[in-house]
Amino acid sequence: MSIAESSFHYVADLVRRETSMLYQQGKEYLVAARLLPLARESGDADVDVYVRRLKTDASERRKAIDALTINETSWFRDNAPYQAFTDVLLPQAIAARQATRKVSIWSAACSSGQEAYSLSILLDQQLPLGWTAEILATDVSTAMLERVKAGRYSQVEMNRGLPATHLVRYFTRVGSEWEVSPELRRVVTTQHLNLATTFPPLPTFDIVFLRNVLIYFDLETKRDILRRIHARVAPGGALLLGSSETTLDLTDSWEREAVGRVQVHRPIQPAAAFGLAAPTRAAG
Amino acid sequence: MMLQGPGLTDLHAVVDEVWSSFLGHEEPLLPALPDPASAGGITWSAATSVTGAWNGVVTVEIPDAVAHTATERMLGLVAGQALTTEDVADAVGELVNMIGGNVKSLMPGPSVLSLPLVARGTIASPSDLAEVSCLDLTWAGAPLRITVLARRDAPTQAADRSARNSADTRESA
Amino acid sequence: MHALIIDDSRAMRSILRRIVTDLGYETTEAEHGQAALDHLEGGLAPDLCLIDWNMPVMDGYTFVQRVRDDTRWRDVTLMMVTTESEHGQIVRALAAGAHEYVIKPFTPDAIVNKLELLGLLATEVPA
Repeated sequence: MSIAESSFHYVADLVRRETSMLYQQGKEYLVAARLLPLARESGDADVDVYVRRLKTDASERRKAIDALTINETSWFRDNAPYQAFTDVLLPQAIAARQATRKVSIWSAACSSGQEAYSLSILLDQQLPLGWTAEILATDVSTAMLERVKAGRYSQVEMNRGLPATHLVRYFTRVGSEWEVSPELRRVVTTQHLNLATTFPPLPTFDIVFLRNVLIYFDLETKRDILRRIHARVAPGGALLLGSSETTLDLTDSWEREAVGRVQVHRPIQPAAAFGLAAPTRAAG
Repeated sequence: MMLQGPGLTDLHAVVDEVWSSFLGHEEPLLPALPDPASAGGITWSAATSVTGAWNGVVTVEIPDAVAHTATERMLGLVAGQALTTEDVADAVGELVNMIGGNVKSLMPGPSVLSLPLVARGTIASPSDLAEVSCLDLTWAGAPLRITVLARRDAPTQAADRSARNSADTRESA
Repeated sequence: MHALIIDDSRAMRSILRRIVTDLGYETTEAEHGQAALDHLEGGLAPDLCLIDWNMPVMDGYTFVQRVRDDTRWRDVTLMMVTTESEHGQIVRALAAGAHEYVIKPFTPDAIVNKLELLGLLATEVPA
């Protein structure tokens, strides 16, 4: 199984343009593995032939992009942000919240809820005894919020990204679907929220997940959204965007920091802009 | 006595998932009215039984054309290639195995799924089985029927798997 | 890398074989657990076993138990691929030592994704 360098570059470029997701050097095998089933379905001899097809076939391009970004319905999507959560961000939030023993997380544009429930799994495994956590899952779509509340996923959705041990620990069968356990549900609240308008009253969050949604807005709206979110992130807290989304060029009120394999955005406090010391979190 | 079976919605979801996972998305599975006239052409029938907390049989009946296309897709063969009876029986058996296995998990457990049985022609249901769900569908214009039957009287003990296994190993000893 | 595919259905073995050979694996097939054990006893050293549950002679669950009981084969990854999808069955299989579990029906990307999770995607791209 192989993919020519030129095919890989074409595909990586296509994905980056359409979704901001990055396929970097070293990930050729992953692109080849994910495109091969589609190549077979189209009757193409190999991935390179299929990539040639992509250049003129818009609907195949769509399918290829879906396969390469493993669409939204995946548990622990991209894995790296969840690794960063486990290794650095959650420990930092715990260090900062000793007084209240409560960690607040926002899954903004939560879609069908896999991000929120993936985080809930990690919290169940890592939050110390006696602590509470709240994950606020918001979306502009009431249909999506109903899905999050129901917490039910099809067998096909369960096959993606979820280790079997998590499946049996946190889900039960209901008819032909799988439903999240009460322990996962306990921590997740849903709320209708349109990012592009003024926010309703919201708590201050330690960690905000705003992944792969800014791309749907124009520049001005992106700036507004980031400004509104800035006001809701605790000093020393963290904002995570999609794989290669960045606040660069959008606003200078966020500081970018590499955490593991992801970029984390820290809100710069107004006082810091005048050179005064701002509260910082202990390094993870 | 009310016989239990999977609801039609759940059964349809199961068949849909099996079909689209292995036989492609290009032609959808569509609901159809049962049409005795369209049962022309040789039919393949496959059955698998579930024994335990719930006792029943799941059958799949499909015409030759559907059986052949399904076999080609599952074996990764070029369309129109010659197929043996064993090839087709194996592929159709696996389809009923997957549908039956998923039906089993929709019903109360614990229970055991039998190995599939495949025949050309229709399988007449014995009198101790009653139909609880029947799904008539079309796929690329051809009819298929999936039926779930439940036993009227539960057997006094679950099928003895070890007895069946030792019967099988006798030949390979 | 080598995969041992264990299923009594030739069609299913064929489907799984195509998925993993596309990923660069070489494959061996077996119709049931006993035949698979015979391969292992004969010196086959697969990286991965894809195992159906319901098979004649020796079922997949028993195969998993036998493999995990034997230190010779402790480095073999065991992934069930089966219609058995009750919660209790999955728990039993994992408790017996299966590393992963795919429920039939599945799409090829589900298998690819599980292999990614297990770190079993061949990363070398042949020239």
